[in-house]
Amino acid sequence: MNGYIIKRTLLAAPLLIIISFLTFALNHLSPLNPAEVVLRAQGVPQITQALIAETEAALGMDRPFLIRYADWLASCLRLDFGDSYITGTPVWSLLGPALLNTLKLTMVSVIAILALSVGLGILCALKEGRLLDRSVRGVSFFLTSMPSAWLAAMMIWYFSVKLDWLPTSGMDSSAGYILPVTVLTVSYAGIYFRIIRSSMLSQLYEDYTLYARACGLPERKITLRMLKNSMQVAVSVFCMAVPVILGSTVVVESIFAWPGLGALTVNSILGRDFPVIQAYVLVLAASFVVFNTLSDLINAALNPRLRKEF
Amino acid sequence: MRKKSTIFVAAVTLVMLLAGCGAAENRQAEAGKPGQELVYATVKDINDMNPHLYPGSMPAQGMVYESLVENTADGIQPLLAESWEISPDGTVYTFHLRQGVTFHDGEAFNAEAVKQNIDAVQHNSAKHTWIRLSSKIKGTKVTGEHTFKLILSEPYYPALLELSMTRPYVFLSPKDFQNGETKDGVKGYHGTGPYRLTEHLTDQSAVFEANAKYWNGTPFISKITVKVLPTGETTFLALQKGEVNFVFTDDRGTDSIDTEAMDRLAESGAYQVVRSEPMNTKMIVANSGKADSPVQDKAVREAVWHAIDRDTIASQIFSGKETPAGTLFSSNVNYADIGLKPRAYDLQKAERLLEEAGWTRSGEETRMKEGKPLTMTLFYDAASLSQKTEAELIQNTVKGIGMKLELLGEDSSSIASRRAAGDYDLLFNQTWGLAYDPQSTVSAFTSETAYYHAIKGISRAEQLKDEIEEVMVTTDEEKRKALYADILTTVHEEAIFIPLTNGNLTVVAPGNLQGIGFKQTQFELPFERMSFK
Repeated sequence: MNGYIIKRTLLAAPLLIIISFLTFALNHLSPLNPAEVVLRAQGVPQITQALIAETEAALGMDRPFLIRYADWLASCLRLDFGDSYITGTPVWSLLGPALLNTLKLTMVSVIAILALSVGLGILCALKEGRLLDRSVRGVSFFLTSMPSAWLAAMMIWYFSVKLDWLPTSGMDSSAGYILPVTVLTVSYAGIYFRIIRSSMLSQLYEDYTLYARACGLPERKITLRMLKNSMQVAVSVFCMAVPVILGSTVVVESIFAWPGLGALTVNSILGRDFPVIQAYVLVLAASFVVFNTLSDLINAALNPRLRKEF
Repeated sequence: MRKKSTIFVAAVTLVMLLAGCGAAENRQAEAGKPGQELVYATVKDINDMNPHLYPGSMPAQGMVYESLVENTADGIQPLLAESWEISPDGTVYTFHLRQGVTFHDGEAFNAEAVKQNIDAVQHNSAKHTWIRLSSKIKGTKVTGEHTFKLILSEPYYPALLELSMTRPYVFLSPKDFQNGETKDGVKGYHGTGPYRLTEHLTDQSAVFEANAKYWNGTPFISKITVKVLPTGETTFLALQKGEVNFVFTDDRGTDSIDTEAMDRLAESGAYQVVRSEPMNTKMIVANSGKADSPVQDKAVREAVWHAIDRDTIASQIFSGKETPAGTLFSSNVNYADIGLKPRAYDLQKAERLLEEAGWTRSGEETRMKEGKPLTMTLFYDAASLSQKTEAELIQNTVKGIGMKLELLGEDSSSIASRRAAGDYDLLFNQTWGLAYDPQSTVSAFTSETAYYHAIKGISRAEQLKDEIEEVMVTTDEEKRKALYADILTTVHEEAIFIPLTNGNLTVVAPGNLQGIGFKQTQFELPFERMSFK
C-alpha cells in the first residue's frame, strides 16, 4: 500500500507542473500588453508610453518568458502568487479568504449531497421499481433540470422576501448558508443519487449476493456487504464532487453575494487581473488532482485488487 | 410505513426549526437598525481607498476625502480652502485654508498637510497625466499655518476645476503616508470628509460612520453601509426585503437594477426614484484618420449621423432612462450652449448626402465609390448589453441606405487600445462627464491615447490642435468662450463624434429620505445633505 501511495503521489507532480505551465502560458498569449492591462486594471485614466515602460520594468516583464515562469512557479510553491494588478495586494490575501468561504459552502453542500444521494440511492435500489423508487427518481429528475439561477431567485423571493425567514444573501449568519446549500444540493444530489442507486443495483445481481442468499444469510448482513462494495463509487463521487462544486459555484455565489472564489474570479476576469486568474486556475487544478489522488487511495484501501492493477 | 412517515415528519420539522433559527437572528439584526442609516448596494467592492490612486470606489472616496474647492452648478465654491487669490499672471494660486479642520485620526489639517499631499501626488505624476494640472504644477509652498501657495509653470484656466475633482488632489492624513509617499500604498484612510471608514470586509461590505467632528456639522445620517451585491434580481429582492435601502448608478455608469424594477419599487411607495440632469453623452466616434476607409469621407460620417434613430434608442433600448442627444455636449455643460444644429434622424437626407458624395448603388446592394464598397466596422464593448443592441439597430437601419456595417464586440481594454492605435472605423465611447467637460474630452481630441486619430483626417486638424492648446491656457474668459465655440463647431460640422444619448444618474432611495441631490463630480453623492423626514 505504501508503494502505491508513493507512486500515485509522484504521478500527480508532473501533472501539476504541466497545468501550471499551461496556466502561465495561456495568460501570456493574450494580445494585450500586460503592463497596459495592469494600468487599466488600476483605473489609471490616461495611459502613456512612458508609464507603460515604467510598469513593464517594475513587473519584470522585460525578462525572458521561461525565466518569468520559473520565478513564478518557485514563488507559487511558497503560496506567493504575486500581487493583484488591481489592488496591488498579495494574491493570496484575496484568494485565501475567498477559497475558505467557497470551501465552507462546498463542504456543507457536499455533505448534504452525500447524505441525500447515498440515503436515497440505497433506499431506491432496495425498492427498485416500486412507487417510492419511481417517485424519488421523478422528483429528482425534475429538480435537477431546474436552472439553479432561477431556483435560487425563486427561493430568495419565497423564503426571504415573502416569508421573511432567511436573509436574501451574504454569509453574515449561519442562516445565510441554508438557501445556497439547498440550491447546490438540489442541483447535484439528483445526479449523484443515480450513480449510487445504479451501483447498488449492480451489486444486487452479483454472484456473491446470490451465494449469500443461498447460504441463508440475513438480508441485513447482505445489504451491509453490498453497501461496502458500492462505497467505492460513493468515495469517487464525493472526492470528485468537491472540486467540481468548488469550480462551479459561480452562479450560486453571484446570486447569493457569497464572497467566494466565484465572485473573485468573475471580477478578476472582467478586470483582467491575471495573477489572480492564474492562481485560481492553479488552485482549482491542484484540487482536482489532490482529490482524484485521494479518491484512488481510499478506493485502493477498500479494494486490494486495485493496488495490484497499478 | 408508519416509521417512514415519522422520519419524514422529523426531517421536515428539523428543516423548519433551522429556518426558524435563521429568521429569529435575522429579525434581531433588523430590529437593531435605527432609522437613520442607509445601506447601499454596489457591484464592486470599495477597493483600495488610497485617494491618490485610481482603483477605489469614487462614491466611497467622496464620503471620506475632500478637496480644496468644490465644483457646483454655480461654479467653484470654497471647501477646505475658505478663499483664494490668483496672481495677475495666472501662475500662483494662494489658498487660505479653513481653520479648525482635523483629519479622522485627529491630525490637524493645515498648509503643511496640503503641501505633503500635493507633493505626494506629483511624485507619481506619470499616473495623473489625464489631469493636465499635474504637468503644470511647478512648486508648492507653505507660507503660514493656514496659507498655501500652488505655483504653476504657465497659466491654466481649469486649475481650480481640476483641484475640485474626487481624485487625486484630495487630502489624506500625513500620518497614513508610507515613507512620506502615497504611491506605493498607505497605512490608513483618514480624510477630512463627513464620513469615516470604520469597517471593511473585502468583497462583502464596508461601514462608514458620520464624522462627529466634521467642520460643517455632523451629518444627519449616522451610518452608511456598503454591501457588495450582484446586479439584478438579488439586489431587487434585497431592496424589497429592506436589507438594503439605497442604490445608485455606479462609477462605471451601471445601475444595480433595471428600469422596470425601479418602477415597481417606486410604485410600492416605499421607495422614490430620483434622476439627475444629463451627465455625459454616449456617442460613436468616427475615425476620420483611418486610411482607405469610407469613414474618411465627411458625407459618410454625416449619413451615419442622420441614420440613427435616437428616439427609439432612448425609449426602447434605455426604456426612457436616457434622453436622445443632438450634440457632443448637452447644453448644461460649460461653454457648450452655442446653439449647434442637431442632425435629425432622416434617412432620405442620409441617402442624398451619399449620392452627392458619389456613393452610388444599384438596387438593394451596398453602395460603391471608385470600386470600393461602403463597408465599415463598428466596435462595441462586448460587456455592454445596450451597445450591442444599439449597434444591431444601427446596422439594420444603415443597410437600408446601402451602407454595410460589420459589428465586432471586444472587451473594453481592446477597444481602448484600438482607439489609441487608430485601428477602427467607428467605435462606441462616451464623454468624460459634467465635472470634467468640456476641458477633459476636448483635451482628449489631441491626446495620442484618445481621439488623435479620429481628428487627424479633417482639414482643420492642425488649427484645432492649436486652438485646444490655447483654450487651456488663456486667462481671457471671452476668448476662451470663442475658442470653445470654434472647436465644438468644427468637430460638429465634421461629424466626428456622433452623439447617441445623454446618460444620467439614478438614485433609488427610501420614500422618506430628503435632500437627495447630485454633485457635479458625477459619481459621488452628497450623503451629508440627506436626512430622513
